[in-house]
Parts: sequence; structure tokens; C-alpha cells
Amino acid sequence: MQSETPLPSAMADLLGLDPSNPLVIFVMAFVASLVVASGLLTLVAVSGIWGKRKITAAFTDRIAVNRHGPMGLLIIPADALRLLSKELIIPEGVDRPAWDLGPLIMVFSALAGFAVIPMGNGIQIADPEVGLAYVFAMASVASLGLVMAGYSSNNKYSFLGGLRAVAQNLAYEIPLILTGMSVVIFAGSLRMSTIVAEQADTLIALGPVAIPQWYAFVNPFAFVLFMVANLAEVGRNPFDIPEAPTEIVAGWQTEYSSVYFVLAYLSEFIHIFLGGAIIATIFLGGPAGPVLPGIVWFLIKIVAVYLFTQWARSAVPRVRIDQLIEIGWKGMLVLSFANLVLTAIIVGVIA
Amino acid sequence: MSNPWIAIGALALVGVLIPVGMMAASYLLRPSVPEQGKSATYESGEVPTGSSQQIQFNIQYYMVALLFVVFDIETVLIFPWTVVYRDVVANVGLAEALYPMLVFVGILVVGLAWAWRNGAVKWVRSPRASRQLDHKP
Repeated sequence: MQSETPLPSAMADLLGLDPSNPLVIFVMAFVASLVVASGLLTLVAVSGIWGKRKITAAFTDRIAVNRHGPMGLLIIPADALRLLSKELIIPEGVDRPAWDLGPLIMVFSALAGFAVIPMGNGIQIADPEVGLAYVFAMASVASLGLVMAGYSSNNKYSFLGGLRAVAQNLAYEIPLILTGMSVVIFAGSLRMSTIVAEQADTLIALGPVAIPQWYAFVNPFAFVLFMVANLAEVGRNPFDIPEAPTEIVAGWQTEYSSVYFVLAYLSEFIHIFLGGAIIATIFLGGPAGPVLPGIVWFLIKIVAVYLFTQWARSAVPRVRIDQLIEIGWKGMLVLSFANLVLTAIIVGVIA
Repeated sequence: MSNPWIAIGALALVGVLIPVGMMAASYLLRPSVPEQGKSATYESGEVPTGSSQQIQFNIQYYMVALLFVVFDIETVLIFPWTVVYRDVVANVGLAEALYPMLVFVGILVVGLAWAWRNGAVKWVRSPRASRQLDHKP
């Protein structure tokens, strides 16, 4: 199921071009990136404009969008056009280049993270040796955009939101990475394709059904920790305090309108799917699964993580900023250290 | 097998082109109706006072950032260890592979306990906020 060559080389082979020529690879990778990015944008459009409303409505016993097309699905192009054609209001005293670059950096960091994710059926743009470190690094670049947005908006709510966003990302970055590293102890590699391949072995065979060695089954404690830290990383309830609509209006995005709002919103949803893709790759066997092709399983897994964030958004109350700091530094960090050390000891004793 | 960073660079380029393209599309579509008062920053309907870039904020944000630097460097140092751990256990033995890292993590945990006791991860209240809390009926 998993092809060994990354997508650009495979495409070059298919077209009869020389895959060792850097220019050929760049053009092929560019085309492949456009395909992957369009798929992502479609996913975000469906889940962010339509799915989010429908899910929240189901939780709160409302109907939500139902006027345009079947189940209100045509709201997606209508809303995309509506948001893009809004007037851009530039508030007084904004710090201009930083204010414009903030949303751009957020979208960039989320999209760039997808470069190393194996999506099944050979769809993987690149497979560097440091894949997992790269994806964590890229996902964290978004914090920079958040600081820029919060600081440059010349708005007190934005400033507080930016500070909160950074404090939150700092507090949950380390538990996230430490828990991710407990997976690396099992896999013995940072290369994404190797991590996926290591999970294909059978853990236990229940008669004809072989349960694969997905790290969520091998180390469920790490999986739960990672899911919680990921909720904080993407800023969804119970950790949506950087936005906290009932406290600080809209946090760091208060002053953004028109296309900048679209970019901020887009980056949040791409980050949710990037978090889902990381979880799927290192805990849920990547694109592996029975019967259906790999890409379908990959989509099922990342949409499942998205549904989990939406469920948490509707069902779990928000924590306060002081509680968040204490949960992060006193709870999650200690637990993730314990998880790492215990994993190392258990793996060492068994090996 | 070509250099994977060429392909990553291509995706990074797409990652910049998409938001820039959306900005360009919006620039062509959107109206511009400048009006007095529209460009004031939002402060719940009040007239905004002062600049927000010179306000004082809670020292706590600075404290956790300092703490983060320490632990972030530590995660970078643990990364290579996790990659080679199983091979080292197989070749050299459990003690050789595990104990140095246990000592390293132990020192960091002692540091965290010290920061914890000193209140670096406890939310700081300004003297005024504490006074207000004490005087609550």
C-alpha cells in the first residue's frame, strides 16, 4: 500500500522525466503541492464553513444553514465569496508590515507542515530523515504569527489574546513533543514513512482479525496526553482562551476583517487538520486500514480528530488562563516526563 | 531518491502563494468606503485610549517564556537519544543507554520543582489585584 518513493519522484517517473534533475523535481513537487493544498482547502471549506455550524447546531438543538442547496451545502461558495469581498478596514496605529504578515505566516506554517505527512496511495510530498522534527517545528512557527497579530493590532484585546496564545503554546509545546518522542523510542526513526511502516506489524491476533501495532494501542497513555496537548495547540475548548469570545472579544483576531479574517480562520482549521494528520501518522498507523484505499483511511482519521475538536468545543467549558498555566506546567509536563521515562524503561527491558 | 528539501521548498512556495493569491483576489473584489470612526480600534464601543503597544502586562507571561527556553533546549537534546535508544540498548546494554538520560531528565525535573516552589508557574497577581480580592465582602 505504501510506496517508497515520494510523490514528486513517482510523478517524474510516470512522465518519463529524469527524477535526479532538481528542476524536474521542483516542478513536479509544485504540482503535487497544488493538488494537496487544493484538497486541504476543500476540506477546510466544507468543515469550517458548513460542518462547524451543523455540528454546533446539532449540539445546541438548532438547525443551522439549510437554505442554499441540499442541506445548505451551497453556503460554502456563497460564504467564501462573501468573506473575500468584504471591505478591509485598517485600524488606526497598526504596525503595518507585521499586521499584514501575521495571518500569512499562520497559513504558511500550517500548509508547510503537510509536506512530510504520508497520506496513503503514495501521496507524500517529501520524506526527509527528520520528518517528525520538521512537522513539529513548522506547526510551532504559527506562534510567531500569533504574536505579530496580537502585538501589531494596536488593540488591548488583541494584545492580551496574543500573549495568551503564546503562553498557551509554550506550556503545551513541550508535553506535545515529549509525548511524540515516546513514539520515536518505539519506531527508532524520525522518518514519517518508517514510523508508519513500524506500525504495520501485528500486535495481537484475535482469530482472523489481526490488531495492528498502532502506537495508540501500544501506548494509550501517550495517545491521550497527545490528544489533550493537541487541543491546546490548536486552541480549541477547553483551551480556547487565546480567543475567548466571552472575555476578550476575539483575542488576537479582533482587528482583522475581510481577507485577513479569512486567512486567520483558514489557518486555524488547517492547523486542526495538521494536528489530526500528526496524530494519524504517529498514533493511528498513518493511512493504514482494511479494505478501503489508504487516502480514504487517512481522511477518515483526520476528520475523526476534527470531529473530536468540535465535540470538545461544544461540550467542554473553557479553563481560565491561570488554570491553563498550572495544568500545562504542573500537570501535563510532569505526566509527559513520566510517560517518556516509563516508555524508555519498558522498551529497554523488553528489548 | 532526490533531495527531499527541494519538494518541501516547492510546498513552502505554494504555502505563500495561496494566501497571497487570496489577498489579491480580495483586493480586486472588495469595496473601499472610508468613513470617519470606522478605523478606530475596537474597545467594546468606548473611545479607545492610548496605545496598546505600551501597556503593562502580567509578569507571568515572561516567567513561563523563560522556563520554556530551558525545556525547549532539553527536548532538542532528547530527540537524538530517542532515535538511537533501541539500537544502543541492543548493542551496549540497558544501563549504558538509560542511566545518563535518567540523570539528565532528573536534573531538569529538580529544576522544575525549584521553579514550582518559587512560584514561577503560579499565576502572579499584582498587589492591587490581591488587595481587591482581600477586600471582597
